[in-house]
Amino acid sequence: MSMDLSKISEKLISGDVEGLKQMTEETLQTDVNPGDILNQGLLPGMDTVGQRWKDGDMFMPEVLRCAKAMSGAMDILRPQLAEGDLGNAGTMIIGTVAGDLHDIGKDLAAMMFEGAGYQVINIGIDQPNENFVKAVKEHKPSLLGMSALLTTTMPRMGEVINSLKESGIRDQVAVIIGGAPVTEEFAEEIGADLYAPNAGSAVDIAKEHFEKKST
Amino acid sequence: MINNRTNYTIQESPHFEIFSEDQKEQIFNGMMRTLQYTGANVHHEGAREVFKKAGCKIDGIRVYFPPEVILKALSTVPPVTEVFPWDGDESKKIVVEKKRSYFGPGPTPPNFIDTETLERRPYLRKDASLVARVCDALPNMGYVQSLGSISDVTNGLADVYEFADMVRNTTTPIMSWSFTREGCRDIHRMGIAMAGGEEAFRARPNYIFYGEPISPLVSDFHAIDKCIYCAENRIPQVYSPCAIGGGTVPATHAGQLVVALSESMVGVIAAQLINPGTCVIIGGVQSILDMRFSIYSYGAPELSLLSAALTEVVHYCGLPMYSTSGCTDTKKMDVQSAMEASLSINAAMMSGANFVHDNGYTESGLTGDIFQTVMDDEIISMARVVERGVEVNEETMAVEQINNVGPGGHYLYEDHTMKWFRSHWMPSLMDRNSYESWEEQGRKTMKDRVLEKTRDLINNYEGPRDKVPGKADEEIKRILQEAEERIKKEEPKKQA
Ligand code: B1M
Repeated sequence: MSMDLSKISEKLISGDVEGLKQMTEETLQTDVNPGDILNQGLLPGMDTVGQRWKDGDMFMPEVLRCAKAMSGAMDILRPQLAEGDLGNAGTMIIGTVAGDLHDIGKDLAAMMFEGAGYQVINIGIDQPNENFVKAVKEHKPSLLGMSALLTTTMPRMGEVINSLKESGIRDQVAVIIGGAPVTEEFAEEIGADLYAPNAGSAVDIAKEHFEKKST
Repeated sequence: MINNRTNYTIQESPHFEIFSEDQKEQIFNGMMRTLQYTGANVHHEGAREVFKKAGCKIDGIRVYFPPEVILKALSTVPPVTEVFPWDGDESKKIVVEKKRSYFGPGPTPPNFIDTETLERRPYLRKDASLVARVCDALPNMGYVQSLGSISDVTNGLADVYEFADMVRNTTTPIMSWSFTREGCRDIHRMGIAMAGGEEAFRARPNYIFYGEPISPLVSDFHAIDKCIYCAENRIPQVYSPCAIGGGTVPATHAGQLVVALSESMVGVIAAQLINPGTCVIIGGVQSILDMRFSIYSYGAPELSLLSAALTEVVHYCGLPMYSTSGCTDTKKMDVQSAMEASLSINAAMMSGANFVHDNGYTESGLTGDIFQTVMDDEIISMARVVERGVEVNEETMAVEQINNVGPGGHYLYEDHTMKWFRSHWMPSLMDRNSYESWEEQGRKTMKDRVLEKTRDLINNYEGPRDKVPGKADEEIKRILQEAEERIKKEEPKKQA
């Protein structure tokens, strides 16, 4: 039986969290390939959401609702996916660095990555350097995200990168950083792989990075 | 002349109100319900102990405040507090009471608009004295903040250096901030040095301290720790959040007011329990998360509305209000910033907020722009004219003079005109030239005039640096040295 996967996209775009979960489960009962649910249903849906947001047709809370729906569907789908189906949207660790209590920007970024299919582990605010390193060792994420809103806490991001190097795991993970006072130059200076000026672009920037890497 | 009017109502200045008494009470009760049933997280054992003793229910870090604790705290807040310029200049004295407004810049953005190049760059130590000096000269800056956080001193001492430099470059009372209690103490020691001793400071406090709870409903360790320090030492203090509508607080304005009021009240209660009668000012930045660009908007009209609305509720509680105006989302002073600042300054003025900060914030609070502050100074003086209202009495109605001049003719020769025309507002930046003179003088735009005025102050206004008593100067230098040593000791601790 072939299934019209655009219905999944539509459900996602409407931001119906429970509805999408149910639809994902039902579709999994049919003979549709789980990879197709992701690649022909969910991801095209999120692409549309992303585009509409950029065009100013959709707003943050609507986008986040869709991201939540995506994340709920992914929880159901993930165990069924074959290796490679996920592309690079693997696991991500994200947190705000030590001494910094600003959380909303970091949370926005976390939710956007969930929406892109990542399994996001949000370790919270005011996280000591070693917690980032520990989390990378434990979860082996493809991406490590750090947020800092204070010029005084920005240096912690460089320190975490150095600790990753010292632990010999720097190459295992791409590092993306953001936060109001953070700049592209600063990212370069401390040896971060990626810098995102806002939560929306962060996902695209990561995607581009992984695509470039795999070619 | 005998005043023989009876049952006569006087209202001279504009009447601006958002809420009815009932609505204010409703928001107030919303705060009471929130603090009683939801409570707030307080990451400070000592503070939780104090709350517990006062009758609050504690569950881990969560503190639930019964109404009687809140009402008791509100019963000891002072109706009026005075803050004094360190040189004794009475004209710069601040009286913190209802319906008196003092405008000032804002604290701590990372960037500054360089006054020479006009480019954005990190805020430097020299900027703190510059801002202090320029604000010292501006007639409508009633108190001073730095417009930046210093990037070129030892990491962790931006707060202390800022105060040290500013206090010696302005006599206008400063609103200071710090990272931790230690910075707070260093600043306080400098305040005492300028006042001429601890007793003198208690009698005539010369600065105000600014701290922040975290929306929604959190007081982190350092915020409440500094609040306690200020209460213990009777330092007038602000305890107010930057609430982000739709982000950290509800998207509905009433909901935002309830949360913002609740989290600030935690500081009020702590301070009143520790030292009844100490001055706590609440309010904060109240605006919305822009859901398209995900920035905290400093130019949104909602900022004006929310700030004025919160002012009413805060005054209803019997507390002074820390409000916001003169700020913008555009990157540096321009037409957009003038529009946004005019609206917010006027609303803040009408609302009667006590302290109104962020005059000179650009880029949504990420950059300090002293040129914007100078332009805001002019807007504030215009708003004051409207606020002053219209005086109505025999002299000002001038019925006799009207009779003298009669129909036709003019008032230019009248003694009455001679006596009164100077009460008209005089612009210092606005252009009212004829086309020809404007052309002759180089077709200057508002931006040109603001740059000129600001640079003139920077280059020619000396400020009170020479008046600083030698002893105080020495003491400040010593405090800075000790702060350097303190940080050296703290650093290894942090790494461990
Ligand atoms: C991993 O990948 C990524 C990718 C993109 C990422 C990313 C990670 N992280 C962020 N992004 C990016 O995407 C997001 C969305 O597009 C964006 O995130 P943002 O977080 O930038 O944007 C949010 C959606 C909205 N913006 C915000 O939430 C921040 C707004 C401002 C006003 C702000 C707020 C709200 C707060 N503050 Co703070 N605060 C300020 C901020 C000024 C400003 N305009 O940024 C700033 C950052 N604060 C500052 C300061 C000084 C402080 N604050 C403090 C406290 C607070 C509050 C608690 C009151 C509150 C935070 C509440 C909370 N729940 O988070 C204190 C420090 C506390 C601490 N230890 O952390 C305190 C020290 C103040 C004091 N005296 O105590 C200033 C920093 C100055 C500097 N030199 O660094 C500041 C610029 C304000 C100012 N104008 O002075 C991007 O940056």
